[in-house]
Amino acid sequence: MIYSAWRKQLQTFVLVVLTCVISAQTDVPRPRGVSLSKASLYSPTKDFTCFDGSSTIPFSYVNDDYCDCFDGSDEPGTSACLNGIFHCTNAGHRPQNIPSSQVNDGVCDCCDGTDEYANPEACPNTCEELGKEARAKAQHLADLHKAGNFIRLELIEKGNKKRQEMAEQLSQLEKDKEEAQKIKEEKEALKSELEAKENEALQVYRDAEEKERLKKEEEERQQLEKEVSEQFSRFDSNNDGLLTVDEIKVGNVFDKNKDGEVDEEELKYFMGDKESLNMEEFKSDAWPLLKPLLMMEQGMFKPAEAEEVAEETEVDEEETEDIPNIAEIDSTGTEDDNIDSDMSQDNDDEDHDIHTETPKGYDDETQKLIDEASEARRQFVDAERTVREIESNIRNIQQNLEKDYGLNQEYATLDGQCLEYEDKEYVYKLCLFQKVTQKSKNGGMEVGLGDWGEWAGEEGNKYSVMKYTNGVACWNGPNRMTLVNVNCGLETKLTSVTEPYRCEYKIEFITPAACDDSTFIQQQTEHDEL
Amino acid sequence: MALSRQQEEEGAWSENFKSHHDSKPRGNEAISLDIAFPDADHVYGIPEHTDNFYLKTTTSGEPYRLYNLDVFEYELDSRMAIYGAIPVLYSHGPKRSAGVFWHNAAETWVDVVNYADGTVVSSLVNLVTGGHQRRVDARFMSEAGVIDVFVFLGDKPADVFRQYTALTGAAPLPPRFSLAYHQSRWNYVDEPDVRAVDDGFDAHDIPADAIWLDIEYTDRKKYFTWDMEKFPHPAEMVANLTAKGRKLIVIIDPHIKREAGYFVHEDATEQGLYVKDKDGKDYEGWCWPGSSSYLDFFNPEVVKYYAERFQFNNFPGTSKDVHIWNDMNEPSVFNGPEITMPKDCRHYKAPQDGQDGIAAFWEHRHVHNEYGLRHISGTHQGMIDRSNGKYRPFILTRSVFAGTQRYAAVWTGDNAAEWGFLQASVPMCISLAVSGISFCGSDVGGFFKYPEAELMTRWYQAGAYQAFFRAHSHIETKRREPWLYDAATTARIRDAVRRRYALLDFWYTLFYEHSIDGLPVMRPLFQEYPKEQETYTIDNEYLLGDKLLVRPVMEAGVTSVKVYLPGKESQTIWYDVDSYHAYPANGYMNVDVNIAKVPVFQRGGSIVPRKERVRRAAALMAHDPYTLVVALDPQAKAEGSLYIDDGETYDYVSNKFIYAKITYEPAVMKYTFVNENASYPTRSWVERVVIAGIKTPPKSAKLSQGGKQIPLQMTLHRGNNVLVIRKPSASMASPWEIHFTY
Repeated sequence: MIYSAWRKQLQTFVLVVLTCVISAQTDVPRPRGVSLSKASLYSPTKDFTCFDGSSTIPFSYVNDDYCDCFDGSDEPGTSACLNGIFHCTNAGHRPQNIPSSQVNDGVCDCCDGTDEYANPEACPNTCEELGKEARAKAQHLADLHKAGNFIRLELIEKGNKKRQEMAEQLSQLEKDKEEAQKIKEEKEALKSELEAKENEALQVYRDAEEKERLKKEEEERQQLEKEVSEQFSRFDSNNDGLLTVDEIKVGNVFDKNKDGEVDEEELKYFMGDKESLNMEEFKSDAWPLLKPLLMMEQGMFKPAEAEEVAEETEVDEEETEDIPNIAEIDSTGTEDDNIDSDMSQDNDDEDHDIHTETPKGYDDETQKLIDEASEARRQFVDAERTVREIESNIRNIQQNLEKDYGLNQEYATLDGQCLEYEDKEYVYKLCLFQKVTQKSKNGGMEVGLGDWGEWAGEEGNKYSVMKYTNGVACWNGPNRMTLVNVNCGLETKLTSVTEPYRCEYKIEFITPAACDDSTFIQQQTEHDEL
Repeated sequence: MALSRQQEEEGAWSENFKSHHDSKPRGNEAISLDIAFPDADHVYGIPEHTDNFYLKTTTSGEPYRLYNLDVFEYELDSRMAIYGAIPVLYSHGPKRSAGVFWHNAAETWVDVVNYADGTVVSSLVNLVTGGHQRRVDARFMSEAGVIDVFVFLGDKPADVFRQYTALTGAAPLPPRFSLAYHQSRWNYVDEPDVRAVDDGFDAHDIPADAIWLDIEYTDRKKYFTWDMEKFPHPAEMVANLTAKGRKLIVIIDPHIKREAGYFVHEDATEQGLYVKDKDGKDYEGWCWPGSSSYLDFFNPEVVKYYAERFQFNNFPGTSKDVHIWNDMNEPSVFNGPEITMPKDCRHYKAPQDGQDGIAAFWEHRHVHNEYGLRHISGTHQGMIDRSNGKYRPFILTRSVFAGTQRYAAVWTGDNAAEWGFLQASVPMCISLAVSGISFCGSDVGGFFKYPEAELMTRWYQAGAYQAFFRAHSHIETKRREPWLYDAATTARIRDAVRRRYALLDFWYTLFYEHSIDGLPVMRPLFQEYPKEQETYTIDNEYLLGDKLLVRPVMEAGVTSVKVYLPGKESQTIWYDVDSYHAYPANGYMNVDVNIAKVPVFQRGGSIVPRKERVRRAAALMAHDPYTLVVALDPQAKAEGSLYIDDGETYDYVSNKFIYAKITYEPAVMKYTFVNENASYPTRSWVERVVIAGIKTPPKSAKLSQGGKQIPLQMTLHRGNNVLVIRKPSASMASPWEIHFTY
């Protein structure tokens, strides 16, 4: 482009700027970009003082496309100040304040096009159209709120009723609890009394048992000593109190593999690295290895039989575990056990045998005391459980009563109601005032996206957002949480679920409970006044 | 040699690395060369590493390694190989500068011995040199290739830096928007999300020029497709952005999903466009899409096919305002040795008579470090072709080799939200800059982990003064768009981004000048002050051109930082750009820094053009007026330059631009065109001239332009000796002069 052409362009530009210092779009003359409320601060007959008082400049410097005030107040209608505000009236629609940086930048920001005055054709006035749309939308919303409000009023009534019922229930439960508590105490006293008697009676049996046990242990010990020393002597051919390699080598019983000789390996098996064994070493180290061989030698030890014995023992032990106080009477299970042999004589059916075993052990008097104590225990447990159940009910109701169900209890009946929403991959479930979960359609675990936390709308609009917090933790990240936007609708349902931020879910939820037409009208009015 | 090779058993040279096998069919091909740099204090270059800018003696550890790798959570202060490899090394000392370009794309190791490091010098060397220790040795070792070495000699660093870009190319002028602020995340999830982020910048009056889409925008990682559930209307989405002057940048990686019915895969299979394995079959690796193969960009047929994918009708939804991000091009192969391609894979080699058998192809080992370069050059070709050569492309690459600057900008890869990575961004980018790649930056905020407010603020402030300025974050991290911080932090981020936009035309001019002279935009201090030995090891501050000195605050909780002001001998004055307070150069000084302060100084004797009206996007500021900041030297003189064009086309090649010189001396300030045949019809004008360091203010000033004389208003600020000329209104479309009388 040649020089004169751009010069002309520049001049037109400057001209546009100059002629636009005062705009005459409305009745009150005010500089471009100034709202009605601030018009009085710009008086063409006086010097202009920056709003922050930092300096005073000739009025011709206002909107002259050069920033003189730190606060940008001298250039409401140009882009000269970085922190300035441009006001557009947008007649027919809502007025708007935009940052000065958007003035004459080639983008239509105000529907009246006034922000792009350097190129007036670029931005036609669309306020009438937009205003009409906005008004229609507002009307639609108002109608919706009006219709929804009827349902809301019902919900309020139900909610209040529910709360009242809960309060009544609560006082009834408090009474029940008191009574149950009393019964529990009575049962506890009775139980203690009967258990004392039972204990006394059983003590006799326990003492006898203990005596018997000690006696048997002593007998067994002596038997073992005897046997060990007999065998030791049997092999200690020179009676020097030591079993030497030579002495062992001649004992057939040490020939484990029965190949006719006691070889190095067999010696090592019994003696370890020792050259000889004294009595004590024989008893502790060699005897346990030797005993089975001896038994085999004596024909006492037959593997098949041994297994049977072991099995019987196990059964007995299991049985005894379930019956306190009479345990271990027959735990040895050997052939010389009197009680055992008695039982097998009396009962040929083994099952029956086990069932009737318990009463058999005590005399009738003792058995009666045991039965009475058991019954008292059972009754106490029942009484205790009743109290616990009542307490848990009380807690639940109290929690519910403490929950914030809205200004008029309109959300009370929704507590616990579950709503689902499906997208391509997941099924989401919101159980109101409880929790939010997500489940993959390809299977897998249900993932908690948060438990009921609180109402979290902005000030003055608290009941517009529900917050569910403390869901399952994300890998390398925070616990999942969900914000539920609550809006008026004739149905109660979820309209969308998204994850705008990693692990922070957003649910759009509509319900008639949110259709408060009085606050809606108030909000609309406030909005229009802006 | 040939005889002995035949005698070797087949596979004699093969090796195993972990579970990987390298057949090494050609046996040992390694080469090595020792180079001595007498009179050198230090050597520099051979990026990309996280070590200091000046290279260290390696005898006590591993050499510097050059092998392009996708390193997960790379380490700091390390000589390990990361994404890029540029085998150019410079030496510098007070007497002279030198450089060596080791032209080799195979795995390369470089050992360095600096004789000044007392610990590594033998007493014998001391004896021989008589205690004189000014010398550095370097040893280049490559796994394969021929010895192909270029040597640069000069009096000063700029001489050798220039010779390197004369050899490998300077970066062409980038589209202007690409020097502005970029907003990225893995991933902006869908169209409403993109819209909300776009609107968020307007709602918070923070400028932004590009929104980025990472891999999730595709239909299950098939490049050149869209996830139609999440991005059903890409063209509309792009139009929404461009209506505000913004751009969209989408990722295109070199791995191709092996899925029946995917057109790229089917074409590549049919036409044999993939890299082959050691047996000559299509190589299959594992990457984002799962089973993948890799386009063999060494084959001109592949480049042709690939470039055609960028045609607007082949990639629906894209337009001239959609630019490209080439990631994972080391290449990254999740199940390959060291997360890359096996070295015995086969690449295309131009057929030559008598070359058959293993001589008929390149093994991956021969060309590995060059793979990414071929990838971006294909993208570059495709983007130029799609607009019939009208518009300049912008490409970002992670893999780097010598010459990358001709096609793409580079970022320092997958860093983390830690102060150490912020600190590393400066030496890493200076090192790349002297190695040809001025268009460098780091992920602002850190890719892995979450930056708290202070780190985020400091990173934005630092990023605002690095060439490539993009915030990016990992998919598993908390969202962090500027307005998600507390209001005060958001305001500081806004301030940092605005600082960048105010200087956008200065950056653009620097990149224009780089395209002409090939010198780094982001410069080490010793480039401009080569005799000042203290500057040789300074790598936490740098110069932009020869005019601004930047010392970003990169330490947590500090209230002051040490700043080195060079140029004492030449009586250089440095002006704090926030206060215009003058500081005579005198080495280190302490600068108080609150959380809002970034120490930036303008050199006395320079003129920097600014645009104070910061808008939503660079394109919307095209015709806004300039503020010219004149910082006076002790002789009360200054000069600067300004480049203006349409910001996006190649019209500048046919002289549609303005390259102006701006000079100031007490009697007159002049704006003249360096190239008088070139012009551009800008509507920009001068709204303000700020003269810092003025001792004797003039009584009056007059603008003369186009034969007219206009008296100008001036205000003197005595506190800091600043004279402001109010609204000269001179047009930048033609020369002008301002005459002063005293």
